Parts: sequence; C-alpha cells; structure tokens
Amino acid sequence: MITASIIGLAALLLVVLGIALVLQPRGASTLDFYLAGRRVGVVTNACAICGDYFSAASFLGVAAAVYVSGLDGVWYATGFAAGFIPVLLFVAAPLRRFGEFSIPDFLGRRLTSDRVRLTAVCVVQLIILSYLVPQAVGSGITWELLVGHGIAGLSPYATGVIVSTAAITALVALGGMRGTTWTQAVQFLVLLCAFIWLTVAAIGSGFHYPEAVDRLSEQPLTNPTATEEGQWHLETEQDRIDGEDPATFGEPGARYGSLGQFALIITLIMGTAGLPHIMNRYFTSPTGLAARMTTVWVLGLASLFYALAVLLGTAARSLIPGAAAEHAWMEELTVDGVLKVPEHALLVLGRVYGGEIGLGFIASGALIAVMSTIAGLLLASAASWGHDVYERHINPHASQRQAVWAGRGAVVLVAVLSAAVAVGLRPDSLTALLPSIVATMVTWAFALAGSALTPVFILTIWWQRTTAPAAITGMITGALTAITMFALGTVYGDAGLSEMLLTPTIVAAPLSAVVTVVVSRFTTTPAELDRLWLKLHGTAADRHTLRLARLTITGVTRRSKEAP
Amino acid sequence: MVRDVPSSGGDSPRPDSEHREQGGYDITDEYDMPAEVDATFRTLRRVAFGYFALFVVVVAAVPGLTLALDWWSQGRLVGGMSPSFVMAAFGLYVFFFALAVAAATLANAVEDRMLGGPEREHPEQRGDAP
Repeated sequence: MITASIIGLAALLLVVLGIALVLQPRGASTLDFYLAGRRVGVVTNACAICGDYFSAASFLGVAAAVYVSGLDGVWYATGFAAGFIPVLLFVAAPLRRFGEFSIPDFLGRRLTSDRVRLTAVCVVQLIILSYLVPQAVGSGITWELLVGHGIAGLSPYATGVIVSTAAITALVALGGMRGTTWTQAVQFLVLLCAFIWLTVAAIGSGFHYPEAVDRLSEQPLTNPTATEEGQWHLETEQDRIDGEDPATFGEPGARYGSLGQFALIITLIMGTAGLPHIMNRYFTSPTGLAARMTTVWVLGLASLFYALAVLLGTAARSLIPGAAAEHAWMEELTVDGVLKVPEHALLVLGRVYGGEIGLGFIASGALIAVMSTIAGLLLASAASWGHDVYERHINPHASQRQAVWAGRGAVVLVAVLSAAVAVGLRPDSLTALLPSIVATMVTWAFALAGSALTPVFILTIWWQRTTAPAAITGMITGALTAITMFALGTVYGDAGLSEMLLTPTIVAAPLSAVVTVVVSRFTTTPAELDRLWLKLHGTAADRHTLRLARLTITGVTRRSKEAP
Repeated sequence: MVRDVPSSGGDSPRPDSEHREQGGYDITDEYDMPAEVDATFRTLRRVAFGYFALFVVVVAAVPGLTLALDWWSQGRLVGGMSPSFVMAAFGLYVFFFALAVAAATLANAVEDRMLGGPEREHPEQRGDAP
C-alpha cells in the first residue's frame, strides 16, 4: 500500500464530488442536466471530450501496446486519433445544428420515426455496456495495484469497482453534464501533465527517442510467456507479415499481418463517430461552428497525447532493462528486464523517476482516465434511457423535474448493472488475462459503434434519400454482422483471415451502408424533409445564437459605461 | 432538391432558441433560403468527401508502403527511425491536424459566403442609423 497514492486518490475523489456539488444544475431542466444548457465553450468542450475519450485503454493501453509490439502497437494510437477526422468532416457541425439530446434522438427526429429511435437506443446501450464494463474492470485492477486493500470484507478488486463507480455515479447524478464537463476537462489536463512529466523525466535521464528505436530495431522483439508450470521465459515474436523471420520493434508484423493492420485502423477510425458518450458532447456546444472548431482542438490535443504515449512506450522498452538491474523491486515484475504485464510500463516508469509519489501519480492518472470515461458513458446512458425512452415513450407529459429524476434514476441503474457485471466477470484465477480482456472489450465497443451506427449516421446526415426502414435495417445488419464476426473470431483465433473477424468494421460497415442505401431506394422518405434538411445544414440557428451573444455583450458593455 | 421555403434560425421549438424580443426587434429573424442551403450542402459534401479521400489514401499508405517498399520500413532517416515509424509516431498526427484546420477553415468559409448574406443582417449590425 502506498500512503501518498491513497492521499492523492482521496483528494481526487473529494475534488470531483466538490465540483459536482458546486456546478450542479440550478433548475430542474433536462437541457441543463443532459447538455449543460448548450453553453460549453470550444476549449473547455475539447478538453472534456479528451477526458471522456481517453480511457485506461488510451492512458496505459497505448504505451503498453507499443511496449509489447512496437510499430504495430502504434496503430492503436493512430486509429484513436484519426477517428476524429470523420467526426470533423461528416458529423460535428450538422449534428449540433439539428440540436437534439442523443444519437437515438437525432436519428428518430431526422427520420421522424419512433422505431428508429428505439432501435438506436438498443444499439447505443449495447455499445455503452461494452465500453462501461471494461472501464469498471480497469478501475478494479487499478485499485488493486494502487491500494491493495478491500473494504467491508470485499476483495480489493471488488472494492475498486464499487468505490469508483459509486463516486462517479454521485458526480453524474448530482452534477449532470455541467459538473461532468468540468471534471472531465480537469481530468484530461491531469492525464496530459502525467505524460509530459514522464517524457521530461525520461529525456532528462538521457533517453534519445530515434536512437532508442534504432537500437531496439536491431534485435528480435521478445516478450515474456508463462508455461503451464508457471515458469516465465522470453519468447521471440514472429513476424506475421514475412512469416519466418523474427519481428522487430521498429517494423510492422509483431502483432498483425497485412490485413489485420488495415482492419484495426478502420475499426478504430469508424468507431469514434458512433460512440454515444463522445457524440453527445457535441450537443453541448452553443453552435455548429463551435462544434466543428471543438473537433479541431480535440485533434490537436489527441495528437499531442498519443504522440507522447508512443514515445513513452518506446522509452519503457528502452529504459526498463537497465532500470531492472538497479531496482530490486522490479525483479518480480520482469523477466530478463522485460515486463510480464505490459500495462505496468508507465507505472514502472513513474516509480523509477518519482519513487512512490511518482507511482501514485501515474496510478491515480489511470484511475482518473477510467472514472472520466465512466462518467461520460453513464451520462450518455442516462440521456438514452431518461430522455429517449422515458420522456419520449413512457411519460411524454413528464414535467422537467420528473424527467431529470428519471435521468438520475437511469444513471444509478446502469451504474449498478455495469458494476455487478464487472465484479462477476473477474474470477481471481484470470488475473493475468484481464488486461487483454479489457482491451478486447473496448475494441469490441469501437467495432459495434463503427459497424452499426456510423454508416447510418453519416448517410442520414449527407444523403437525403435515407429512410426510416433503411436506417433500422442498416443498424441491425451492421450490429449482427459485427457480433457474428466477432464471435467467430474468438473461436478461430487471431491469425490470417481471423484478424479481420476480431476487427469486423472493415466488412460490417460497408455492408450496413449498402443495405441502408438499397432499402432506402424502395421505401419512402420522411414527411417535412425540407424543414429537417434546413435545420440540419442551415446556419440560421448559429447566426441567431451569435447575434444573441453579441446583443448580450453590447447590453452589458452599454450598462457598464452608463454606470456611475 | 428542396422546395423554396424560407426557414428561420428558430424553426423548431428548441429550448435554447426561444422566440424573444430583444432590443426592439425579433432576434429570430435569421433565416436560410432552401436553395442556398441545398447549394451549400452540396459544396460541403464535396469538400468533406474530398478531404476524406485524401485522409484514407495517406493513412492507408503508411502500412501499405511496407508491402511495396523495403526502404519504407527498413531504411533509416536522421536519428535511426525508419520512414514508416516516423510517419506513424509523428507525421500522421501533423497531417491529421493540418487536414483538420484546412477542412474546418474551408467549411467555415463556404458557409459564411453562401449562407446568411450581409443583406439579411439587421441594420444596427451594418452600422446604419436605426
């Protein structure tokens, strides 16, 4: 147990709850609870989106992927960052201009169909659960590493899941989107500071990035493997592109074959535009123009973040063998200077450069990454259940107060469900496999989002002829194809064509798009399409908002001049 | 094509765009003409798909060149990194950001020029006497 870590973690939870209490919505309004009154500025929203987006898979996972498989691991960073290009080009501005509460609400209103809304709710909930459970699992693992103690007879893992989920549930239920936005923005800045500190420390200790890549690329890439008797030894990774040769750090092939590399990148790129917790944040922008510029900021910040993650993964691979010889505590973590669990790479660097405080800082960062993503997912789930289902279908005449409480109830229910699944999912005997389970489930969420939602989403925005039956068919086709391929992939492994099965968007997304287009040709477009199109692509609402802002500023300036 | 029916900025009963009177005139007098929106939409669609095609080509080229050129993954640039690693670790992020800035700037300019022309602005904004 590390005292500094515990104190830091307790302080973090208090700050998060404090922000939630201070920034909780003043009135009982769904607009305030779900969308922070649509008044979130460009830079704040960009930081909040980054906090929302950078889960443990980004904070620890990207560096770990680079550490364990070199250049092939870099594709995770590339795909996560590149995912915002389709968001910028196709989604951000029109989505905000249409101005609803969630992806299902947008699709339901654009295609004037309750069936579309309910189908989208099902898909969105599947994506959220696929994303939420591994985050809860990640919080349990991090607590186990950071604290190592359980509360009230619970295991450390279960305590971590329950404490972090309870804290974030309180934040979201009390603070709504406004409180969540500010905490996520602050959380992102903490994550970025952690990366910058580690980078400066590594370079200060003599790490030279290009030389390290060159040196690591001169020898075969090896990683620890456990035998059935529990003995660890280093095993050389085979090059999956050239076949017989050993893989090296700086060349592709350590993890994926030629097809697998393309399939992974496409899955990550297409998935981002269909992630409900990220897309919901665009509804908080005051205008479509602000939503577009927010994405540009996100791309800049994400590029910096992922470039540093890749550098740190390389630094860990280069520096840890030398550090292992100097620090006795690394003996049980490594095999001949290589980490048994690659997700420990940044944690080990933190302890090497900052002692226990450094380890506590990085471990707290990992927990922050998990918690901020859980917050976004819970809010997206609440918007989907509370607004799309309760307000639209169960109680259309609900008062604002009733609707907000329905959203809060949905937050608690989804949080309890995900925590229960996470606690039940992790038998203690699978400890060594869990990091890969977490990464697999996150990739699955991207695959489902990119296959079922993104193609339909883009077509409804950019193709007038898209119809409600076509959107439903497209979403179901994409989801079923992705689920089937993924299930087959887990059975047949990850070599050859099976690489594509585990990252199915490369097949499922085009199929979903083709089905949507074909069905649209034989069905009828919604009534009042002209009005909907003007709302989606016109800028009158943006100009109206800007004019209102100018008038407000003018009024305030005039009053301040007239004041004695 | 959409019909020629004007639409105001507050065309839907959204909570953030209530019709209010401010400063003696209706602030919801912003509107778009359907023909203009249609033309803008088609221009923006060309811009978006054009930039997306460029994006796909560049992203696919980084792993793709590995299959075609040995130099791409085995050659050494300044410092010892291969061209493939340099692109994946730095170059693509610079490209993404440059593309994002260029696409956003162009889209903003298209909307600015094609929608909400100066003749629609309130006299007070043009500096005319009220």
